Amino acid sequence: MTVHNLYLFDRNGVCLHYSEWHRKKQAGIPKEEEFKLMYGMLFSIRSFVSKMSPLDMKDGFLAFQTSRYKLHYYETPTGIKVVMNTDLGVGPIRDVLHHIYSALYVELVVKNPLCPLGQTVQSELFRSRLDSYVRSLSFFSARAG
Amino acid sequence: MADEALFLLLHNEMVAGVYKSAEQGEVENGRCITKLENMGFRVGQGLIERFTKDTARFKDELDIMKFICKDFWTTVFKKQIDNLRTNHQGIYVLQDNKFRLLTQMSAGKQYLEHASKYLAFTCGLIRGGLSNLGIKSIVTAEVSSMPACKFQVMIQKL
Repeated sequence: MTVHNLYLFDRNGVCLHYSEWHRKKQAGIPKEEEFKLMYGMLFSIRSFVSKMSPLDMKDGFLAFQTSRYKLHYYETPTGIKVVMNTDLGVGPIRDVLHHIYSALYVELVVKNPLCPLGQTVQSELFRSRLDSYVRSLSFFSARAG
Repeated sequence: MADEALFLLLHNEMVAGVYKSAEQGEVENGRCITKLENMGFRVGQGLIERFTKDTARFKDELDIMKFICKDFWTTVFKKQIDNLRTNHQGIYVLQDNKFRLLTQMSAGKQYLEHASKYLAFTCGLIRGGLSNLGIKSIVTAEVSSMPACKFQVMIQKL
C-alpha cells in the first residue's frame, strides 16, 4: 500500500504544489502540460458527475480507480483541490486530504505573508511538513510498489 | 486575545500595507520599520494599562521585565518567553524559541531577510509597555534561525 503522488490546485487551475513518492511511469509530457491535463479532467468529471447523477448529489466526485491505481479527490468551498494517487488497497481518505488542506495548506501557506496566493508554493516548511505527514500515513510504505 | 488567526492575518496585512504605501520614494527599509514600531508602541501603551489594572506596584526593573516575559507575553502570544538574560546594568535579552508570528513562515533559513519586518511591531509593543510602566528603553530584535528570535531591551537611564 503506498502513495504515488499528490497535486494541489487552486480555483483558477494553477498548480500550487506537486510531490511524488513512488512513480514508476511518467506521463511523457512536460509537467506544465500534465498539470493542465489533470485540472481539465477534474473540471470535466465534476460537471459530468453533477449533471448525470440519477439522485440528488451529496458530495460529488470522490475518487476513480483503474486496475493499477486509485485517484482520490477533495475540493474545498474556496476551490482548492487536493488530488492524491494511491494504490488500490487504500479506502476513502477524505479526512487525510482534509487534514492536508486545513493543517498544512491553511496553516503554512495562507497564514504566511511571504507566500502569495495564486502562485506555486515556495515555502520549504510546507514542503517538508507535507512530506513527513504523507510518510507517516498508515497506508504509506517505504518500499516502492 | 480573541482568536490568534485574526491578529496574525491582520498583522501580516499591516506589514504588507505599510510597505506598499511606502513604494513611492521611501524605498529604504528603515522608514517602514519605524512606522510599524511606532504603531506597536502606541498599542503597547494601551495594552499595558489594561493588563496591569489590578496588579500591585512593581518592586524594581527586573520585576517589570519578568512581568513582560510571563504575563504580558502569555496574554498576547499565549506562551511565555523561553529565556530572559540580563547583565544587571540595564540590558535584557528576551528569547522566544517559537515566536508565534514567525512559526508559519519557515523553520530555518528560508525567508530570513524578511523576518525583521514582522518583528518591528512587537518591538514597539514591548517599548510601549515599558514606557507606560515608567521605563524608557530601546528595543531591537534579531533572528538567526526561524522561528526563534531574540528581543534586546536597552534601558535608558535618565
